[in-house]
Amino acid sequence: MTDVSPAAGPQADTAATTITLAANPRQRALRLHRELSQVWANDRGLWGQVTAVSHTTLGLRFMATAFVFFAIGGILSMLIRAQLATPDGAFLDTELYNQIFTMHGTIMMFLFAIPMLEGIAIWLLPKMLGTRDMAFPRLTALGYWCYLFGGLIMLTALLFGVAPRDGWFMYTPLSNAVFSPGINADVWLLGVTFVEISAIAAAIEITVTILRQRAPGMRLMEMPLFAWYMLGTSAMMLVGFPPLIAGSVLLEMERAFDWPFFDPTRGGDPLLWQHLFWLFGHPEVYIIFLPAAGVMSMMIPVLCRTTILGYGAIVAAILALVFLSFGLWVHHMFTVGIPHMALAFFSAASVLVAVPTAVQIFAWIGTMWKGNPQLHLPMYHILGFFLTFVMGGLTGVMLAIVPFNWQAHDTAFVTAHLHYVLIGGFVFPMMAAATYWMPLMTGKRRIKGLGEAAFWVILIGFHGTFFIMHLTGLLGMPRRIDVYPDNPEWIWLNLTSSIFGFVLTIGFAMYAMDLILQATLGKRQSRDPWQAPTLDWAMPLPAPNYNFASLPTARHLRRDAREVILPLARGEGVLAGAPRGQREFLVTSVGDATPDHVAILPGNTALPLALSSAIGAFVLLMLASLYALAGLALLPVAALIWVWARGMAPQDSLHPVEVAPNFRLPVHHHAMTSLGQSGLFALLIANGTLYASLLFGLAFLSVVTPGPEVPAATVGGVPVVSALGVLAASLVAAQFATADQSATNALVALVGNLVALAALLSVLPFLDDPTAHARDALRAALAGYVGLHVLVAAGMAAFVFDQHRRSEVTATQQGAWPACRLWQRYTGAVTLITLVVAIAQEVLT
Amino acid sequence: MRCALPFFAIVLTGCTGPLSTLAPAGPVAEKIAWLWWGMLAGSVLLTVLVLVLVVMAFGPPRVVNPRVWTHRLGLWFSLMVLSVTLGAGLWVGERILPRGDAVEVTAHSWQWGWRFGHPDGEGGWRQVEGELHIPAGQTIEVRVTSADVIHAFWVPRLAGKIDAIPGRENRLRLRADAPGIYAGRSAEFSGTGYAGMTFTVIAHDPADWPAAIAALSKDAPDD
Amino acid sequence: MKWLGAVLIGPTLWFAIFLAVYGLHGLICAQWGVVDFSGRAVMIVVWGIGVALFWPLLRYMPAGHACSIDLPRAGLWIGLGATVFTLFPVLIASSCS
Repeated sequence: MTDVSPAAGPQADTAATTITLAANPRQRALRLHRELSQVWANDRGLWGQVTAVSHTTLGLRFMATAFVFFAIGGILSMLIRAQLATPDGAFLDTELYNQIFTMHGTIMMFLFAIPMLEGIAIWLLPKMLGTRDMAFPRLTALGYWCYLFGGLIMLTALLFGVAPRDGWFMYTPLSNAVFSPGINADVWLLGVTFVEISAIAAAIEITVTILRQRAPGMRLMEMPLFAWYMLGTSAMMLVGFPPLIAGSVLLEMERAFDWPFFDPTRGGDPLLWQHLFWLFGHPEVYIIFLPAAGVMSMMIPVLCRTTILGYGAIVAAILALVFLSFGLWVHHMFTVGIPHMALAFFSAASVLVAVPTAVQIFAWIGTMWKGNPQLHLPMYHILGFFLTFVMGGLTGVMLAIVPFNWQAHDTAFVTAHLHYVLIGGFVFPMMAAATYWMPLMTGKRRIKGLGEAAFWVILIGFHGTFFIMHLTGLLGMPRRIDVYPDNPEWIWLNLTSSIFGFVLTIGFAMYAMDLILQATLGKRQSRDPWQAPTLDWAMPLPAPNYNFASLPTARHLRRDAREVILPLARGEGVLAGAPRGQREFLVTSVGDATPDHVAILPGNTALPLALSSAIGAFVLLMLASLYALAGLALLPVAALIWVWARGMAPQDSLHPVEVAPNFRLPVHHHAMTSLGQSGLFALLIANGTLYASLLFGLAFLSVVTPGPEVPAATVGGVPVVSALGVLAASLVAAQFATADQSATNALVALVGNLVALAALLSVLPFLDDPTAHARDALRAALAGYVGLHVLVAAGMAAFVFDQHRRSEVTATQQGAWPACRLWQRYTGAVTLITLVVAIAQEVLT
Repeated sequence: MRCALPFFAIVLTGCTGPLSTLAPAGPVAEKIAWLWWGMLAGSVLLTVLVLVLVVMAFGPPRVVNPRVWTHRLGLWFSLMVLSVTLGAGLWVGERILPRGDAVEVTAHSWQWGWRFGHPDGEGGWRQVEGELHIPAGQTIEVRVTSADVIHAFWVPRLAGKIDAIPGRENRLRLRADAPGIYAGRSAEFSGTGYAGMTFTVIAHDPADWPAAIAALSKDAPDD
Repeated sequence: MKWLGAVLIGPTLWFAIFLAVYGLHGLICAQWGVVDFSGRAVMIVVWGIGVALFWPLLRYMPAGHACSIDLPRAGLWIGLGATVFTLFPVLIASSCS
């Protein structure tokens, strides 16, 4: 990642240097609170909700919205259970039933689980790490609006009866334009991709926040385990979501423009979709589990009045899980006819992934042995987790065994397994977490009794529904059927599941009621109710938008929260108050968290709403098949991104800030490596994975796919070679120009990229018809990818040139140069690789 | 584990059924069923072990050795159990792979139906919709194809499933120990007609099988 | 930062070897329809080289800081263990059927 060395202040080279920041003078806590509240508060009223960028507001809103979608998904599941309660299911017609189970899965995965974990991370991480907000507050808001609008598009489709109906995995050819006419499948592909903008945004800022905003002195190996879990999760999201996005874009292009990526009659392959989907889909399971395991690792020691057992082993287990989970996607494809040796590799990897999971489970139980477990409400849900998740994990190992999978695949056994894992491994821990952190969210005390009752109803309802579903599956009932008139032996099993399913729903309703009552009628809760040793409790209840009146330092770590609440509130930490009237926090180095610079954040703004609305307009026009207009709709998107970037321009004085007595730090405009650069780097990792997915598709289609002969390529000849030469030469020129920052160089880079773009466009008429064969379609897609990157590079060069014109770039102030340089290098690299791959393919075939 | 006892009672009386994987009628399904019962027994033991450890945790603080939990239990114990399971799975998997001679039949699928092709012994094929005729006691190789979307060929009492993927041909081995009628169905979601996409496998006495094939219509029906 | 990079070496190496052997298998099966003795030998050699790569890394990886665990070294052991465990079927499993 980026090289981090502070522009001013101490050197971070040696691990041993931990600088001691002197305490700031004590001030009146109330005055600091007023000063900070004025700067950090949302605007008033409903408009304030539109312009809010605070992580506290948005984290809560993510979680609340996700909970609403959970309720909607739950209602859909009740419809499914009502249909299956009797063998002839006169309740829904098949078309509607297919839409409902597709939407149930889609909502629970993309609109509940992922946004819920994003929400808890966004809300909790800055509090736990000792900072005031996420790295990119406007990006948080953009992610929220993209999530909301994407979700609303899908819900609207459901209301009008045109919701996706091909299963949440959207296997093609069933989901292509021939077998799924209408906009149903487009709603899924475009809606989910729209929502995934928020996942990528969250992954970027979670990564940057954990690596660069920890309290001074909080080294990586000393940060709370939740941060380790979220670092693993966000890294997985950065490389896990791009294959899905790539697959969705390709499938949408096949549907819209007839480019045959997945059509076996024209050199495509339906299995390519399955590979891309499960390359995302399996890591997805761990993306959901890791944050839940993270909150467990925080709550269990506190509720047992002890410290976590095996911190290092757990971190190593996270490391193993993050990687291993990318090596087992094929276990969703055991029945597609892959040779046994390849299946054996993936079977072994799928089995092995249970080891780090077991390490964590035994570390938690060991922690409970070490301490004195207290049966508070969160502990009930933790016990529910142990019971449920262990069973789900064991059926998971069974499914990893190839021969058994051949029988159980696509039966109700798998439905049972995945609900044991997801409800056991995600919903129970999240329910524990919500009851645990409710005082911090609301400042209120719980009303006793209802929560415990809700837990028991949920536990009984859950196991009553899903335990016998294992047997239903083994007796041969497949997933996704709506009637079973010939199989009376399944009747009582299904009826039992349906009855307990309604019990489960009642339990969830009771749980929601308990939270609502606590938020509205609960009595005031005093500070630090759990006597926790982490920073998230070292603040007033409910948590103020600015979190800490002064930021904690090494002195305030690993101490009981109640001991550090007051010193921090009185401004004895660093960067006390908001004397400059702007939102500020401390940026530290990646490894040892030495102070690096002070970041100044943008305030409340409606720009995220505007940008996501513009993207939403593009999505809607694509849905309406108005492709020319959709292309035009990208213009406002580009314009708003420009405005967005302008918002980062330096506003006021840029003098170094005295964060502690006699210790000054530069502001981020003068920093060597700003948060923005780190964020762009993270984005390029995701982007590179997307590109690698396309290359994987090319390799897969040319090596593995049977199917018709590739038509002889007609590419070649003088015009193509000379145009590609111009493309290469102009990109090289742009590359050199971005090495040094000057207005002339910016102009050279701009022209170079524009010439490169023109050269690329001039090649297009000579490319083979992309609708003829999948190889030509993928080549055209790669050309489009390169073209888009060259276009963005031109835009960035123009932006930098504009900054020079406004004299915003100086010797000490780099402006957007680092971002421009990074993007230019990436563009050069992918162009080169694409050319080499295309030439190699021509030579080899 | 309060559910375990009634579960066993149910299983002993109620694991039969036309599509039951727990009522195997051929060697492949039988091996897989044994694998399942073995894994079930192991899982019950492990679940009980974990729950007992959790329950025992309630009480006064104890001095514990972290490495016992993370390394001995978490790493080595789980690795041992998992290696045994994986070994058993690979062994069974190898034993049910297509090897040696077999009677070839074809299974062609579409939205929403099946057509099965049988060799008539004269170099031709006899096709029939919805019924697969096989000789009992002989190894059959089914060549599975699809005309449109992905389907899956599954006869739970005889063998596991294999997908029918457009553009590819997949092969599955199965054998019925005794003559009889076995239910089969597609096990891959394929749209509105999916629930009804069933077929039957009729296992004949090997002596009667040629006659049964000969009785099928010689003309292949059109799609 | 360097430290974080060192942590990732072991598991990344596993992923690379895993994909290499899996890709090799797919290539051999697609081209020749069967992994004969020499095909299997090539896969085993790639696997063996992968496993062997861990030894110099384990030997020369500088010792970690005084933390509760030496994470870069743990990462190498994770990578080595995963390489051995997930690819051992190359020795026994049937090839292209």
